[in-house]
Amino acid sequence: MILTLLMMVVSSLLSLVFVYMAVTEQDLLKAVAFSAGQSICYAILLQAMAATDIVMTYVAVSVGLYSALLVFVLSKTERFEEIGR
Amino acid sequence: MTKRTLILLALLVASIISPLVVVNFTPIDIPRAMRELGRYYVVNTIRDTASPEAVAAVVWDYRGLDTVYETVVLYLAIVGGLAVFRLSKAPSMQVVIGLTVLSRTATKIIILLISSISAAIVLHGHLTPGGGFPGGSALAVTSMLIVPVFSVHSIIERGITSTRLIAIRGLALTALGLVALLPVFRGLELVTNQRFYPARVGFITVSGSISLYNLFEFFAVASGFTAVALYLSIPEEWYKERFSEHGG
Repeated sequence: MILTLLMMVVSSLLSLVFVYMAVTEQDLLKAVAFSAGQSICYAILLQAMAATDIVMTYVAVSVGLYSALLVFVLSKTERFEEIGR
Repeated sequence: MTKRTLILLALLVASIISPLVVVNFTPIDIPRAMRELGRYYVVNTIRDTASPEAVAAVVWDYRGLDTVYETVVLYLAIVGGLAVFRLSKAPSMQVVIGLTVLSRTATKIIILLISSISAAIVLHGHLTPGGGFPGGSALAVTSMLIVPVFSVHSIIERGITSTRLIAIRGLALTALGLVALLPVFRGLELVTNQRFYPARVGFITVSGSISLYNLFEFFAVASGFTAVALYLSIPEEWYKERFSEHGG
């Protein structure tokens, strides 16, 4: 039980780190990768809460489809975010 | 040190210290007893729906009508997305070579793994966690891998065009609707499971309509998302050319 709790706390805080990195990153392709990292943390969190059914959908959609979709969208615009405008 | 590094360091330190604090100093009372509703599903699912998997049973049997409507909502959302990217004629794709041999080979292995796992997720969906939607979206990931690594052309060359994918999607959803509707002709309610469909075929447990729903949902989701990937991979220049041909 302690191990599950530890896993939950670590992955939820690690997801916070990934979110911060994704928001502040100016290279949008890297930001997509950080966002996928955050999704993996959430998947671990859901697995720790024994919601296996949700993990299956969540991994496929938020790590796979969502990231791929964002990369497609990025290929239609610019890779780097312009700041100071 | 920049502000970003400082904040990241603080977050990392917090993520290392806080589990120690939580484990050592906080008395957390974790509920160990099962709630009444949860107990009902765990005890009665196998009798009511012939499926040992309570989540699949809730999704496709106890609350089957909700899921049918959700499928319709997703169908309309993808139809809306495709309507934005609609084409009057097939785009003439120039042959793109794709990535190096190394990444192609690695991708081939990964695609084989993902496809077999998605098949397992779907076909065991009524027995173990999983089902039509997770399996379908896992398979759709393969198409999103193929497009950048092998180019769109390699998919279209094998006869997987977006028109055919939308046709598959329509057929799968029609079949799903028929599975839901068939019991009505025998005077039963819509989305009836055990009173109409058999629990097992031979020695294989099929859990009545749950495995059928999973299978058709799998085809619908996989083909829908693959069609979206194909439309998204059409280069922007092609649309610009088409618009300028029509005078803006």
